[in-house]
Amino acid sequence: MWTYISRRLFQALFILLIITGVCFLLTHYSADPMSQYANKQGMTAADRAAIAHSLGLDQPLPVQYVKWLWFALHGNLGDSFFSRQPVLTLIQQRLPLTLILMVTSEIFIIIISLILGIVSAVKQYSAIDNIITSFSFIGYSMPIFFIAFGLMQIFAVQFKAWHLPYLPTGADIWNPKNIPALARHLVLPVSCLVIIQVAGYSRFLRSSILEVLGLDYVRTARAKGLSARTMLYKHALRNAALPFITIIGLDIPFLLGGALVTESIFAWPGMGRLFWEYAQRGDFPVVNGVLLLTGSAVVFFTIIVDVLYTFVDPRIRLS
Amino acid sequence: MKRSMFFLVSLIALTSLLLAACGPAATTVAPATVVPPPPPPTQAATGCSPAVGTAAIPFPTGGKTVTVAFSQEPDLLSGLFSSMSFAQWITQGILVGLATWDANNNFIPELAVEVPTALNGGVSADGLTITWHLKPCLYWSDGQPLTSADVKFTWQVEVDPGNAVYSRAGYDQITSVDTPDDNTVVLHFKSLYPGWQTLFTSGPNNQGSIQPMHLLQGKTNLEKEPFTHWPTISSGPFVITDWIAGDHLVMLPNPNYWKGHPKLDQILIKFVPDPETAKAALKTGDVDFVPDFAESDLADLPALEPAIHTRVDAGPEFEHYLFNMGVKGTGVGQSDYEGFCPFKNVDVRKAIILGIDRQTIVDTLLFGKTTVPASLWPNSYWYNTSLTPYPYDPEQAKTLLENAGYTVDTKTGYRHGMCNGVDTKLSFNFETTTKQLRKDMAVAVQGMLAKIGVEFKPIHTPSGTFFGNYASGADMATGNFDMAGYTTGFYPDPYTDGFLCSTVVSNQNQGGDNNYHICDPALDALFAAVNASADPATRKIAVDKVQQYMFDNALVIPIYARANVMSYTDRMILPPTSVISGMMGDMFDWDVK
Repeated sequence: MWTYISRRLFQALFILLIITGVCFLLTHYSADPMSQYANKQGMTAADRAAIAHSLGLDQPLPVQYVKWLWFALHGNLGDSFFSRQPVLTLIQQRLPLTLILMVTSEIFIIIISLILGIVSAVKQYSAIDNIITSFSFIGYSMPIFFIAFGLMQIFAVQFKAWHLPYLPTGADIWNPKNIPALARHLVLPVSCLVIIQVAGYSRFLRSSILEVLGLDYVRTARAKGLSARTMLYKHALRNAALPFITIIGLDIPFLLGGALVTESIFAWPGMGRLFWEYAQRGDFPVVNGVLLLTGSAVVFFTIIVDVLYTFVDPRIRLS
Repeated sequence: MKRSMFFLVSLIALTSLLLAACGPAATTVAPATVVPPPPPPTQAATGCSPAVGTAAIPFPTGGKTVTVAFSQEPDLLSGLFSSMSFAQWITQGILVGLATWDANNNFIPELAVEVPTALNGGVSADGLTITWHLKPCLYWSDGQPLTSADVKFTWQVEVDPGNAVYSRAGYDQITSVDTPDDNTVVLHFKSLYPGWQTLFTSGPNNQGSIQPMHLLQGKTNLEKEPFTHWPTISSGPFVITDWIAGDHLVMLPNPNYWKGHPKLDQILIKFVPDPETAKAALKTGDVDFVPDFAESDLADLPALEPAIHTRVDAGPEFEHYLFNMGVKGTGVGQSDYEGFCPFKNVDVRKAIILGIDRQTIVDTLLFGKTTVPASLWPNSYWYNTSLTPYPYDPEQAKTLLENAGYTVDTKTGYRHGMCNGVDTKLSFNFETTTKQLRKDMAVAVQGMLAKIGVEFKPIHTPSGTFFGNYASGADMATGNFDMAGYTTGFYPDPYTDGFLCSTVVSNQNQGGDNNYHICDPALDALFAAVNASADPATRKIAVDKVQQYMFDNALVIPIYARANVMSYTDRMILPPTSVISGMMGDMFDWDVK
């Protein structure tokens, strides 16, 4: 196994190199950071040239990339073009709040998906299955911004109008002395992410369990006289969970990237907003820093998931 | 199964803990490291003393606070280094200049006793020497005296090549700064600089806020200095005491501000990127004031009355369409690309202006909340009020085009005619950004111009590409376009560089500002007259002539004066706001009922 992991890690380095190169090119051609200074009366050509020089933008693109890569290999992702702060500092400022939002959401997503998926599969074609299926389709088909604004309108604006306790709309989220306020701010964005994700995941798990329940070894287990509970949890669910674990495993790296729409609507100061706000201005160091982080996480967690398979399914051998 | 699920959940939790541990304990933006200042001079030594202590006045229980929503977080809180409006608005409350502009656009003193004039001896007869007198007993919020040495230091920061300042324009025309005493600053210019009012003062695009010498002296690359990102001391009414990245920023009163305690005890600025969220926050009272709604938000903001009021101030910036007048060549005033040939004919340009119903655009897309300007610099001292915008007159437009030799092709419905010996169809591209309002306007204009036989073909490009520089190959910068549309900014002084032969953008002059590609010696001469005097009254006459010439020759199409759209809850008292200084310029006078 260690040989396999070493080989995968070596491949990962090569993949990351390609990812950084492609991202660097794409970000450079998506927006010109100097466009911020276009049409600014009072700025002279010399002023613009001095700023471009201070940002290193007067150097050829390959030189810029090699320099960036060299510093990145030494743990320095450079400074933001606009806030002039180290990119690592900016990421460190946003990552904890993104993780609070995304990990909380992911835990709820896993738990609720498991419950709904299992209930829906075991009670196939029952009233409860139909209800879960209907709500899943509704959740799956609605755009996230619609759910977000709908929840905000009801639980913030209307509840306030009805003189009921209401939830905050967003921002002013982080105050280390006021954790209950942070929890209140979490309710709406987490609900939003959970509604969207649970809809798909529970359907996926339901199909997976139903497929396993129809296999020969489950019938054999029934014939042996195992209880339905033992059969489901010890035999069926274990096999049905494999593809589910794959999906969740691949989700984990994206937890670091945040949820752009949800973070923007609920003014959550996370990684998604950091990426988008700086990408709009053509701030390459920040954009490439975030892409390097999420790209590395994707590569790393893909390896983890592959290794995890061997624990869940002893039939799988890595070589 | 249990084992794998437990493993998975543990993995997520561990990962989050590990990564969270990589971050700081809280997400507070790092403030500048402040070296404890030496004790402030005693009253006996200077005749003055700081008003109250040296720390920001804390928010008292039951104090008055206003919560503001900004759609963007500022990058650097220094006008010297940031071009971002949100940064400049906050900076105007913490690092002020010698003078500013009031709600009536009057140039008024801030840290200075009075604004220099020829009458009070502040402006020398030849205009080459400007003398400012600071108010007595000025202090930074940390208790250190604010003196003429700080003004001189600010000039040194501006001209130091080690600092990547936003603009050196004007500062590089100063040869020396004398400080005969703590309250007197004498600026010596090497040549007449008519826009001297933009130096060391606070306005749009000219953040000349005074920098604290006692904190920054001896440092270079100040754009990377923590103080530049988050100034920890203040010369304005408020001090920033807390800033959580991406979340909020807290401003408390500066105990040493020369005007005294502002009417509020705290301003809390939240960063709310989505305008719909900002509207919801206004409704719930989570925020009191949103200063930067887009004009398109006017569709539903009035419906929020009476709980939420909306104010629309038409400002000096304006959306305009411009003709590419370029002449291909490599000489001074020539371009890489030839402009659209028919645009060289003034009657064609006039016909296009007459064929666009700008008032209907304002009435429908902007809900009638702003105006159609006739010329440059609307709603400012420099605007030529004698001009009346061209009316919407499609019949006259058709006549002008017929007389210019452009007749309608009955097959296509569009006109064509001979231009420089070539049969040319009146069909051209129009380039602008992807902003929805611009898309809506372009569709409207397309329909209007089709009625007079002109084909108008919009191309929408993301602003990061549209406004790219020459090296990036952007069409606007290289001059590879027929017609374009965007908002032209406002500098609190008539800005002349954008129309001169010497600034036409080309391969030989890649940093040029003249995107109109106009090279007209008569216009150059008129602009030269604007810059021939330091006296505002004399210059106003010259500026009026420039506008008259541009109007007569239909050189640009002003579409509408950009509106500052701000909404605030009924509990907030928002005094009249200067359209020059910006939406946050009067925060000293903000109050709540």
